[in-house]
Amino acid sequence: MSRFTKFGKRYRDKALGIVIPIVAILLAFVVGAVIILFLGKNPIEGYGLLFSGALGNPGRVAQSLMSACPLIFTSLAVAFAYKCGVFNLGGEGQFIMGATVTMMVLQVTGIQGVPGILLGILVGIIAGGIWGLLPGIMKITRGLNELITTIMLNYVATLFMNYIYSGPFHDPDSGNLQTPAVADSVNLIRVDRMHFGVIIAILMAVVVWYVIYKTSFGFKIRAVGINPTAARVAGFPVKRLVLLSFIISGAIAGFGGSVDLLGRQYRLMTGFGSGFGFSGVAIALIAQLNPIGSMVVALFFGMLTTGASSMQVGIMVPSAILDIIRALIIIFAVSGMALMKLPTFKNLLNRRPMDQEGLMPPATGDKKVEVSE
Amino acid sequence: MEEMLRMEGISKRFGTFYANRGVNLDIRRGEVHTLLGENGAGKSTLMNILIGLYQPTEGKIFMGGEEVHITSPAVAVEHGIGMVHQHFMLIEAMTGFENIILGSKVNPSALIEEAKDKKAIMELADRYGLEVDLDLPVSEMSIGMQQRVEILKVLYRGAELLILDEPTAVLTDQEVEGLFEILKSLTDEGKSVIFISHKMREVTRISNRVTVLRAGESVETLEMADTNGQELSDLMIGHHYVESTYKKVDGGKPVLEIKDVSYHPAEKHGGLKNVDLTVHAGEIVGIAGIDGNGQSQLAALVAGLIAPESGEVWRNGEKVAVFSPEDFIDQGLGNIPEDRNKMGLVGDMTVAQNLILKETESDRFSFGHGLWLKSKAIQEFADAKREQNDIRCTSVNQTARSLSGGNQQKVILARELDGDPEVLIAVYPTRGLDIGATNFIHDSIVAQRDKGCAVLLISADFDEVLKLSDHIAVLFEGEIMGQYSGENPPIDQISLAMAGK
Repeated sequence: MSRFTKFGKRYRDKALGIVIPIVAILLAFVVGAVIILFLGKNPIEGYGLLFSGALGNPGRVAQSLMSACPLIFTSLAVAFAYKCGVFNLGGEGQFIMGATVTMMVLQVTGIQGVPGILLGILVGIIAGGIWGLLPGIMKITRGLNELITTIMLNYVATLFMNYIYSGPFHDPDSGNLQTPAVADSVNLIRVDRMHFGVIIAILMAVVVWYVIYKTSFGFKIRAVGINPTAARVAGFPVKRLVLLSFIISGAIAGFGGSVDLLGRQYRLMTGFGSGFGFSGVAIALIAQLNPIGSMVVALFFGMLTTGASSMQVGIMVPSAILDIIRALIIIFAVSGMALMKLPTFKNLLNRRPMDQEGLMPPATGDKKVEVSE
Repeated sequence: MEEMLRMEGISKRFGTFYANRGVNLDIRRGEVHTLLGENGAGKSTLMNILIGLYQPTEGKIFMGGEEVHITSPAVAVEHGIGMVHQHFMLIEAMTGFENIILGSKVNPSALIEEAKDKKAIMELADRYGLEVDLDLPVSEMSIGMQQRVEILKVLYRGAELLILDEPTAVLTDQEVEGLFEILKSLTDEGKSVIFISHKMREVTRISNRVTVLRAGESVETLEMADTNGQELSDLMIGHHYVESTYKKVDGGKPVLEIKDVSYHPAEKHGGLKNVDLTVHAGEIVGIAGIDGNGQSQLAALVAGLIAPESGEVWRNGEKVAVFSPEDFIDQGLGNIPEDRNKMGLVGDMTVAQNLILKETESDRFSFGHGLWLKSKAIQEFADAKREQNDIRCTSVNQTARSLSGGNQQKVILARELDGDPEVLIAVYPTRGLDIGATNFIHDSIVAQRDKGCAVLLISADFDEVLKLSDHIAVLFEGEIMGQYSGENPPIDQISLAMAGK
């Protein structure tokens, strides 16, 4: 019989955290294949086109990375807030506010070049942070549930952006509802075929991971997220930490909005940022709120987005199939994690449960007996 | 007396570890049978087998002489076995009535027949003297009444054998008396009770027989009439048990002075009224009193969690201006809070992380004032504390939640006494702990006193207050009713003061 070594359980939990999403993805693809079969098409051919469309040549890869970029930001925003017990569903609004304010400031000031980029990103971060701060204030002063306030603020942000691109900042040369493109000189620097923002996003994931797991601040954030009462008794400024996590979470999403505007979209228009907030929630949950994991899952989702059109063109199935697959991944991943929490499964995995009082092995003189054989 | 239950040669193995090995237990009709054992002795595992949560690896169970296979909790209910858990399994937002009928198949009707069910429940309640307000939401009930709802729930499902897991741990002395009367009326009607406790005073009073478990095995079953608390303690811990006594001392300079403090004084249960109290360096001031007479508020005040509405608190001759836990901790406060799981530990973090909870910014455990946590230093510190405080766990990287109560308290103690605080608050420090852990906690608190720490001990366990305190104050409805020397304390007088006289 196999025995867990001292750290075996921890490694096993980590391994499960990776295995579950992978199994979920495979299952989702199997179900997707069945749907494609029912449509009378060949799923293997379709998936082949999907992956070659996403990764077939350097241009495609760059496209996939750029599609993933905003998702990395919004999923990190969700993961960070959730570590402090805050469920930020307002990533979309914070993302949009970041982009909108960046647009406005650059248009009004007309600053060009790298200073323009830096200023644009800075105001985007601040705008996102403020959009995160608002529900934070409502929560800690009046106890309003952030699940509701953050969603409501998404609408406010979207409508505000609407007003901006159809009113004061409307592009006079276009019949569409959109702003003019930002000046070429403030477009994000390009590395090969992709913009520099992708690298920023990847660095961001590392930074968030570092802050959450390696600093005292992140430690406190996590403690507050798990048990705010104990954190307060231990002398942590709980309200301040909660508020900070709202701000930081919003700032990350706002950062993403700026980057997406300056690197990929260049202008605000109908549908800008739409759905990124909720995709971010889904990605963070699949990644079990791990920042690095969020980045990986976001990259995968970006790939699916890019490959979807190739599949649609190639075998004539609607790209909505990919939306179904994406939704199935979420459902399978979340139910997989829930399954693992069932006592039956736990007992199966832990030959020696340690989660209930009275089941703790009594300490014997020889501790080695408990941990190895 | 007629046999009701017999468990024969029960073993339960998890991996290579035996939580129970060859345990024998027999329960007679109409007796209170105590299951005695330290934490981890296998009491909970045995009871989980009896109520169908676990299947035994070996052994047989007989009910009324016939072998039964208790494959699920539902089967246990069919056999008339019911358990009242230490942590109540009630839905707080629902009324007592709703909780009692919840999930019960006693009344087969698809509709809730409230009048009929209520009548049945009230009959039970009257018969056994269980005073319950069925229409009150559980959240508004006292702990004692919640427990009576749990007992009614079990009786309503037709239990003949009731298992009570540490039922007195959460009760005041008065409530304990009430519970004992209920137990007596149950056994008078031929029902049997398995009573799990390690409070020897209660065990010797209420039990007909006692079965001692140690390290997963049943050591002996004794008639209470033929034994005594000392013998049981010896059997339980496996060697001769000597109850420690502590020398009473006089304190030094005043460290903590509470002057005429009031906090919500109009509230009888949950306020403080003109409290005057001084704790000197190197002494233990014990607060005696029935639970819910302002103890939590006094503890919160001294921990900086609440500010007084009137009156002053002085620290080392200086008036405290700001009431915040951060500042109080910075000035050297150790706090063993009343609720380990809610206030003391971050349950889902590891033992190691809980041990350094307040120190993550120190140079000891991080570089650059918290910029990079030193995982190796944290690990070494945790391992050292584990050794020093005998914290029993398989690894300091398991969650604090997975430890037993005694070991959780040892984690808190290790953290709070690290760095020798000037003031220590200990609130119900040994609630629900077994003898071994209790002694360890007491020894540590007294050792801290001897290092010059000013200790404020708040406890509902009168014996604990008498044993440790150099100075005793009685709290009743938020008021200090009297202050007494810890040396040869006037016990009768103190008891009267605790009742408000």
